[in-house]
Amino acid sequence: MDNKLVVGIADMKMTRQDGMLITYALGSCIGVCLYDPTIRLAALVHIMLPLNMEAGRKSPMKYADTGISETLSQMEKQGGMRSRIVAKIAGGARMFDVGGSGSLGNIGQRNIESTHIVLRREGIRLLREDVGGSVARTLLFDAASGQACVRSYGKPELIF
Amino acid sequence: MKPVKKYEDLNGLELDTIREIGSIGTGNAATALSSMLGCAVRIQMPEVRIMGYNEAIDWIGGPEIITAGVLVQMSGEVNGIMLSVQQMEFVNLVLQKMVGHTVENYEQLSDLDRSALVEVGNIMISTFINALSSLAGITTRLTVPAFAVDMQGAILTVPMVEFGGQSDYIMTIGANFICDGTAVPCRLLLSPDILSLNFLLKKLGVLDG
Repeated sequence: MDNKLVVGIADMKMTRQDGMLITYALGSCIGVCLYDPTIRLAALVHIMLPLNMEAGRKSPMKYADTGISETLSQMEKQGGMRSRIVAKIAGGARMFDVGGSGSLGNIGQRNIESTHIVLRREGIRLLREDVGGSVARTLLFDAASGQACVRSYGKPELIF
Repeated sequence: MKPVKKYEDLNGLELDTIREIGSIGTGNAATALSSMLGCAVRIQMPEVRIMGYNEAIDWIGGPEIITAGVLVQMSGEVNGIMLSVQQMEFVNLVLQKMVGHTVENYEQLSDLDRSALVEVGNIMISTFINALSSLAGITTRLTVPAFAVDMQGAILTVPMVEFGGQSDYIMTIGANFICDGTAVPCRLLLSPDILSLNFLLKKLGVLDG
């Protein structure tokens, strides 16, 4: 457990056979676990926003759309096959209940919807998810078993 | 039209001006805190920081530590988010002075404790923004304060996400407070959006280029 690969914000890491991927404190952000079980290739992306509308597209991993498709093509370069890759996602919470109808309140929800749409468009099956609510999540993803684990404040660990 | 300056393009004079805004804002907030708690409050040198996302999380002390956060959104001529990040030491200082007891962890916070923390956060934030508004001659509207107890990484990502489409960096203006001679980490952080920051600097007559 001590050699975890830490995935930062707007970041992606990949590992094969064994190893643990971890991303901390997902608020409205979403952690997307992508896994090819046959060759045990695991990738974890930490996205912040639903759609990439940046001109230069310097940081594709910040957005659900470009983050997921970029990760999938990198997985294919490592021998992953799209037809075998499955997904598990966690995050998309609403951290603060701000009055009014600002973007602040529903960015988590928009991230969830965008992630669903992108996965469907890429033909990736979504196995499990732990999304929404109002608590932050730390997401661990085990490459050997393909199991994901969510750690939150004041709640028991959730393995899925 | 002149190009919009990003956080990382700001020059020394512009940064000094922002630091001065931080200094006046936190000075006023410290006075407000002092009268609420009935103790002497000093501020440490205010800082202006422009950080990458992951750098910012390290700077605040790691992603998973549980803290309380009070958040107010400002809109109008200047848009931004202001956060009061209250770590355990500060929480207990406020509770001791205002409701006469302390807690061991955040789970023990009662409704009364929570409203005391929200109120302290809200008053500091409002005082800061009022000082900023009268300095620059601008009007802003503030939302009702929102309160959350959770991992501080997730609390800090709220302003990052809000301005994430504009920048890969977050700008924070803020300071720590020293109450009754002991340094108590209570971070008061203002994150302006880029356009508002340009507007503000122009209003103050220092925007160059």
